[in-house]
Amino acid sequence: MIALVRTEFTKAARRTRTLIVALLLVGLPALIVVAINTSGNRGGPGGDGEGLFRLAQQSGLLVPAAVLSVMSGFLLVIIAGTLAGDSVAGDASWGNLRYLLMRPVPRGRLLVAKAFVAGVLIWTATILVALAGLVVGVMLFGARAVTVPGLGGLAGGGLAGGFHLDAGALLLRVVLATGYVAFGFTALLALGTLFSTLTDTSVSAIGGAVGIYIVSEILDSISQLGRIRDAFPTHYRGAWESMFTQNSFSHDMVTGIIVQLAYLAVFGAAAIIWFRRKDIRS
Amino acid sequence: MSEPIVAVEGLWKSFGGVSAVEDLSFTVERGQVYGLLGPNGAGKTTTLRVLMGLERPSRGATRLFGTVVTPGCREILRVGAMVEQAAFVPHLSGMRNLRLWWEAGGARMRDADLDGALAIAGLGDAIDRKVRTYSQGMKQRLGFARLLLGRPELLVLDEPTNGLDPGEIREIRELIGRLTAHEATVLLSSHHLGEVEQVCSHALVMNHGRFVANGTVSELVGSSGSVYIEVDDRGRAQTLLASLANVSSVRVQGDGLVVEMRDGRRSDLAAALTAAGLRLETIMATQRLEDAFLDLLAAGDADGRPPVGVEVPS
Repeated sequence: MIALVRTEFTKAARRTRTLIVALLLVGLPALIVVAINTSGNRGGPGGDGEGLFRLAQQSGLLVPAAVLSVMSGFLLVIIAGTLAGDSVAGDASWGNLRYLLMRPVPRGRLLVAKAFVAGVLIWTATILVALAGLVVGVMLFGARAVTVPGLGGLAGGGLAGGFHLDAGALLLRVVLATGYVAFGFTALLALGTLFSTLTDTSVSAIGGAVGIYIVSEILDSISQLGRIRDAFPTHYRGAWESMFTQNSFSHDMVTGIIVQLAYLAVFGAAAIIWFRRKDIRS
Repeated sequence: MSEPIVAVEGLWKSFGGVSAVEDLSFTVERGQVYGLLGPNGAGKTTTLRVLMGLERPSRGATRLFGTVVTPGCREILRVGAMVEQAAFVPHLSGMRNLRLWWEAGGARMRDADLDGALAIAGLGDAIDRKVRTYSQGMKQRLGFARLLLGRPELLVLDEPTNGLDPGEIREIRELIGRLTAHEATVLLSSHHLGEVEQVCSHALVMNHGRFVANGTVSELVGSSGSVYIEVDDRGRAQTLLASLANVSSVRVQGDGLVVEMRDGRRSDLAAALTAAGLRLETIMATQRLEDAFLDLLAAGDADGRPPVGVEVPS
């Protein structure tokens, strides 16, 4: 298993694509933060991270949370979907999959190794974003404690019900947030890996996985769907933000982890069962 | 008698109700260079895929070294295979591809006999270039290096010269020749008749997924068509041969006779001549495998059964 994991890591690490994505993941957060700082836009880039960006200008320790909030909605989704969808289908499209299986490598073990490597790379991508944000944030805004305004305060209101977070607490919450965001791609990883076993074309597998993830996001925004939304893989995606905006560890974070694990179990098992029975014709 | 290296037993494989292989059986013994011969779509590649555990049989079984093949079974370790064209991770060098492939199986590189494999493949300094810069012929040679890692007991080659230019085909055939000279057991599929004729000791002809004929290449060449014979008394031999039931015509050609057979083996003619007290000086097929192949396919298509006089696997 270790040899297989090493093999898969080498294949991924030596791709030009990997280097470009790594540079993007480091460069983009830095660019966002620098742009906000130099333009004097104190409202942040808008969207999910607006409140967090407003706070982040008090302390660079909050910048990782702000950039994660922005980038986990699309760019990291694309990257996670690509890594997962390409895991088996990439080798199949090169024609190399059959040679791995004729080595012979047990199919279940190969699939687990590929999914594991994709998972580690997703975590690495998320950590890179957070680290880039942290470094640039501390350089521009310092590593100070923050005072978070109460309800409405983040939108420019008063400070009633606000709270104080020192540097240590901020750092701990940034670490937890980074882990939660990375873990939030577990369902996408499992879905992408399953799709990757269903097709010999990477683009189809990536498109299928990312497409379903985006559909989940869209459906999740329709409140009329009620409790059904709780089962969507994206529903608890932003639950971690309460650590910075409400000084609480939301129960939704735990539920979100359980939902991700459930998708991992279902899609992961389906992928293994299918891949072990599949005729390899690529 | 020792266990066959390869045994295909009543193999059926269908895809969505369409049969790719129907009730195919054959064995490959140690030391044989065995050709699977058939036109495109005959079911050769499917047979090899099932043999290598890439596909599951719909019915029947394949065995390697006496063990029924299942996906990823240990006996595949003893086989070096190239199924369809050689394929690699394009952004890695040839050398790194070989190393990663070998190490993916959990083995140590020092057990791979890398130098021996590289020497046979003959890629020189190109082994350190990225595979995406290779020609198809270079990829095939790298594929040979990969299948030779660990000195496998059986080599499975599926259309090894497909898609290559004439120069590359010649190189690859020479390479196969070097391998067979080392007494490796080889199972080779091809629709290039000359390739099978040059390289193989035995062959099986298949068409539409079905068995048509098998035997030694010389038997297959002689199993239908015409035979050239020289004897000490040509006139007597001509009369005798013309009276045989499995002979359709006999004509004089040079110093000998050309006998057109309906069915049967050349050895039947030899036996009849010898029994009549004639001294047989030459008996040989006047056709090459290409003629025999087309005749066999036509006979198989005409009556749906293998032609008489060729070995049918039990």
